Amino acid sequence: MDLPAEEEQPLYSQRPEWADVVPLEQYESVAPLAPIFYTDEYRDATNYFRGIVKSDEMSPRVLELTENIIRQNPGHYSAWQYRYKTLMALKSPLDDELQLMDELAIKHLKTYQVWHHRRLLVQQTRNPGPELEFIANSLQVDTKNYHTWSYRQWILAYFNDDALWSHELDFVEKMLESDVRNNSAWHHRFFVVFQSGVRNGDEDRDAVVRRELAFVKERIAIAPNNASAWNYLRGVLDHAKMPYCELQAFVLPYSLPQPPLDTPPEVVDLESPLPSKDAQLPCVAAVEFMADIHEAAGGGDLVKATELWKSLANEHDTIRKRYWEFRIAESLKTKSAGDG
Amino acid sequence: MLPTSLPPLSKGGHATHCKRCLSGLPSSQVDIDPAKLALSFYCLGSLDVSGELEKRTRDWEREQWKEWIWSQQTSGHYGTGFRASSYMTAKHSEHSVHDSPQIIMTYTALLSLAILRDNFSRLDRKGLLKFLRSCQNTDGSFSSEPLGGDSDLRTTFSAFAISTMLDDWSGMDVTSALQFICSCRTYEGGYGQSPFGEALGGTTYCALAALRLATKQLDPLDRQKTIRWLVQNQASNGGFRGRTNKDADACYCFWCGASLHVLDAGDLVDKAEMASFVAFCQFKFGGIAKIPGEHPDPYHTYLSLAAVALLPPDSSEGTPWALCPLDPLLNATYQTSSWARAHIPAPKVDDDDALGDAGI
Repeated sequence: MDLPAEEEQPLYSQRPEWADVVPLEQYESVAPLAPIFYTDEYRDATNYFRGIVKSDEMSPRVLELTENIIRQNPGHYSAWQYRYKTLMALKSPLDDELQLMDELAIKHLKTYQVWHHRRLLVQQTRNPGPELEFIANSLQVDTKNYHTWSYRQWILAYFNDDALWSHELDFVEKMLESDVRNNSAWHHRFFVVFQSGVRNGDEDRDAVVRRELAFVKERIAIAPNNASAWNYLRGVLDHAKMPYCELQAFVLPYSLPQPPLDTPPEVVDLESPLPSKDAQLPCVAAVEFMADIHEAAGGGDLVKATELWKSLANEHDTIRKRYWEFRIAESLKTKSAGDG
Repeated sequence: MLPTSLPPLSKGGHATHCKRCLSGLPSSQVDIDPAKLALSFYCLGSLDVSGELEKRTRDWEREQWKEWIWSQQTSGHYGTGFRASSYMTAKHSEHSVHDSPQIIMTYTALLSLAILRDNFSRLDRKGLLKFLRSCQNTDGSFSSEPLGGDSDLRTTFSAFAISTMLDDWSGMDVTSALQFICSCRTYEGGYGQSPFGEALGGTTYCALAALRLATKQLDPLDRQKTIRWLVQNQASNGGFRGRTNKDADACYCFWCGASLHVLDAGDLVDKAEMASFVAFCQFKFGGIAKIPGEHPDPYHTYLSLAAVALLPPDSSEGTPWALCPLDPLLNATYQTSSWARAHIPAPKVDDDDALGDAGI
């Protein structure tokens, strides 16, 4: 175990200061399914916890006891719940509690209760400022942790304070700089830009869409085979109700089997950054995108779409063969319905 | 013929793994306590879907399990439901608010009892409806417990499944619950755990199955987008990932595969590749792990088996890969879900009694 060499604590049943509490054993009326073979330390602590709950005691020693249980079992729902109630009853300094949580959250990043407890605390302190830094640090440990990102989104949306929002795009950029394939960061960007209201300086929505398109295109150029970036691109276009064909000039080179021949720097089109020479092409997402453009155009272009889908099915993306064949069949159905 | 490269599905080994967990867990598994009924469901479900339940368990065992599950049914001013386990139950004491039922556990308890073919004569149906109402929030979501706790698409799905099994939707405001589901949809086409969250396989299944249980359809464009995102999650090793750009994990074979099935698009899965991934996640002494080489657990064992039951590789009949057909909406074999739908609703009363009831 990675526990620090702490002083061995005697069991609660051996501590004189707990002698006034009647410990209560866990009760099973019949042999339970999947009985857990508890350690003596856990059995002892939870016996005293059931005793405390029964007598409704809320005192500083309850905080010690519940912390002990949570350290042994961070998923112990009732210990968290009772701890919160006790903190409120004692009017305990919540900053101390948050400090303890900083440690426990990092240790138990995947436990729901750690994050739920934190939300309850911050709703009381109404001081969300330090939280963003804490979250940024947690994300260093686990860059895609679902709870941690959800907590960030909650902090921003719940307190909805201009100062909180002001550095979010910088934050996302930093996260994407270290891993351009981090879908949680892309998702967060979409949430910040499109799903959480309009902030100062972002009133010109067309300009915002242009900015986002430029941002995502630049990152596709860096790493073309990145489903997160392509999904973001589609998300922006769908959100702005822009037809995909407006991106044709940008996408086309990524859908071809060879990188384009060297282009002299003076003719580089900033609107359409090109894939690098060592890019793995064709890029599946770009071929799919081109097929979507052809399908939307309809008519004679459907043949082009079908060709692309066939190349995906048989060559570039065979695990989704059935899907690409389904797309071909669907487009034929639409076509014949249109012809009829 | 199955491809010769596909190793057999070790049904017996997986049944042994689940049976062993049902008989006891080491102290390192102490965090299972607040979700014990879910673990029981994964163990019983594995035995059920692989057709091993009758073979592997004795009548008295199944009777004892039913008794224990019923002992988790608890009541309070908030209504009646099932708590996760007895971990907060003290000898001779009354139920306290810290020993209250939980909505996901209630869903898994009902299915577990259906797997064990209980007659549900002990079910407090009115109390259960009241419990659902106590858990629903003004935004349409459901808290995991009447006192509060997380509210997300998992609890929403549980509420929809419970209402379906009861054949009674008076325990919830369906309109606001549906609105909550829609608010979790993301630009990628999947559903996050709660509003603003990143699209995730498990909660996408929860959203799609709940919509279907309430007989709602996605509009055609949304359906297309969701299908696209789901098939994109099948990785080149055949397994499914839960989020874009993450690695495959056996549980998402079910969450994403079943989601596609719910959208009538299960055929778009490369089933042979999926079976191959599951095959390599098998642990040599039984049980299925999240990825090849890791230790197994009942959660990944059940969901892998359920995925294969729903989307079996071609020509699996007569081979170990043939499992019992699965109802993708309630997440149990059809035999079990039919049993649930037949025995959980309030017994039909004749017309005179119904009039008498209405007069009260």
